[in-house]
Amino acid sequence: MTRRTSPGAPRQASAGAFLALSACASLALTGCANLIGSMAADTLSAAILNQNDPELVASGVPAYLLLVDGMISQSPDSADLLAAGAELFALYGSRFEPDPDRVVLLTAKARAYGERAICLAHERACRWRGLPYDEFVSQLAVVEAKKIDYLYSYAISWLSYLDATSDDWTAVAELPWVEAALERALQLDEAYEDGELHAYLGILNALRPPALGGRPEVSQMHFERAVALSAGRNLSVKVEYARRYARMMFEQDLHDRLLTEVLAAPVEVPGLTLFNVLAQQEAEQLLRSSKEYF
Amino acid sequence: MSQARNRIAPYLSAWMTALLVVAAAGPSLAAEIKIASIAPDGSEWMREMRAGGERVRDLTEGRVVLKFYPGGVMGNDAQVLRKIRIGQLQGGAFTAGGLGERYPALNLYGIPLLFNSLEEVDYVRARIDPKLAAGLADAGFISVGFSEGGFANLMANEPIRSVDDLRRKKIWVPDGDQISYLAMEALGLSPVFLPATDVLTGLQTGLLDVVAASPVAALVLQWHTKVKHRTELPVTYSMGVFAIEARAMQALGAEDQRVVRDVMGDVMLGIDRTSREDNRRAAEVLTNAGVHPVAVNDADIDNLRRTIETIYPELRQRSDIDVAMLDELLAVLAEYRAAHPDAPTHSD
Repeated sequence: MTRRTSPGAPRQASAGAFLALSACASLALTGCANLIGSMAADTLSAAILNQNDPELVASGVPAYLLLVDGMISQSPDSADLLAAGAELFALYGSRFEPDPDRVVLLTAKARAYGERAICLAHERACRWRGLPYDEFVSQLAVVEAKKIDYLYSYAISWLSYLDATSDDWTAVAELPWVEAALERALQLDEAYEDGELHAYLGILNALRPPALGGRPEVSQMHFERAVALSAGRNLSVKVEYARRYARMMFEQDLHDRLLTEVLAAPVEVPGLTLFNVLAQQEAEQLLRSSKEYF
Repeated sequence: MSQARNRIAPYLSAWMTALLVVAAAGPSLAAEIKIASIAPDGSEWMREMRAGGERVRDLTEGRVVLKFYPGGVMGNDAQVLRKIRIGQLQGGAFTAGGLGERYPALNLYGIPLLFNSLEEVDYVRARIDPKLAAGLADAGFISVGFSEGGFANLMANEPIRSVDDLRRKKIWVPDGDQISYLAMEALGLSPVFLPATDVLTGLQTGLLDVVAASPVAALVLQWHTKVKHRTELPVTYSMGVFAIEARAMQALGAEDQRVVRDVMGDVMLGIDRTSREDNRRAAEVLTNAGVHPVAVNDADIDNLRRTIETIYPELRQRSDIDVAMLDELLAVLAEYRAAHPDAPTHSD
């Protein structure tokens, strides 16, 4: 199937390789539920997200990218469409596009859409780019709960771009800003997308080991919460929990248990089937390499 | 906490991460060499190490297997050394200072303001590194390679241009780094000991005003979110050392030893080369992220350096300083400076 390199193995280059961002991609996709649901309601949702054939989706989604682009050019001031476009481009770019150069293009567009969307929904956000960290954080504090959709698409589309450009130190530099945006969204609604924000924060907090200032206990708390909020049905969360946290902390029992649970779980969950299928494929690979890794 | 271990922190470099731990396997034919690293799995350094491990396995036809433990799971330099001491592990990749506990000469490159420039570093390292490797072998560790961590720069919310700008500021010194502490005291400043992992919080809470880190380390540790200025002064130089306990190496056949040295030595050389470019690029990124570069004038640097040199007599008395090697190093440095009288006093 057409996928880029495995999430645990970022593309060359020091910076991103260092932080190993790519895993975000696998979770990002589950965010599609929201996006596509909002765009084309149940038909598309059912067609893509309940699809158990990832290759079919990989070959079919580009058509929707064109569709979204067309819709955005017709309604350039629709924050909803822009947010949806940001997520779709981010998710496709992160997960299905095999060519790294094209991933950069796709996610750059995602980020631009995400910025436009939040700028339309929250005027002060039009001046967020380039703000010093502390100022950015204090601006985030006044974003209201009703704007969480835009904040979410802004953050994950940015993250997808950092992932795609992870061979540059800029990606490492900007990470705290994205994390702050996700944390604000979490404050607004921790159960958003069945705990997806927790899953992202679980990943981000597992990018650095404790010796480099990472906070594994925070990562674990987020993963546990994400599992609980999705009632264990979102298998991508458990896969990332295993890959990110359990591997970093060398907790083989936890790693193997999570992945075994993933393999035993039903993949057919409305809105999650596609990504659960992908998650099971990854769980198999991770379990296979468990003995060698630990 | 050992003094040696504490020299790690200031120089947290991109590279610093690779704590390699080697443990002999059981009685099986293959010697399993267990390698731990602070670098997260999937990082460039870990991928290079793993690729090296695969080459070693292939070239030794499976007789030597490198097994990696990323993410610092085996602990910091001091903890790894402790595990080596009790025979649980046989080696590691350390910061130079981290291995200084076993071989004090490795502390020397980290003396504050020792070097003016990377050109001086290159000149000195080309001549002194082999001696350090030889000395390390005498201390029971086979060095597979050294790699640059880079110069730490001062970073703070206020621009630091001179020693006066440092007065009444709370200046971070890595927990237990006695040499830096002495240097700060010689300058009449107020150093604060803290582990590197607590620095971000220290900056947030006002416990610290001034920190030192390489550009790469500042980004990785996210200190760039809490400082606004970076002084372009090469404060301390850091280096990584990948070393395997001599006993573990000698347990391998001569040819297999050569393979491990050559292959992993190449990996370290590659890391050594990319590190400089990483720091150069990271410095640009810091500037773009709003951490402004601050120049220091030559007179101030000379002043700083002369003041710090007043602690040399005291350094010579210390058990963690190898006086003979220090003198050799200073002689090489003097030789370079004599040949380059017009070289800049400092470069970033």
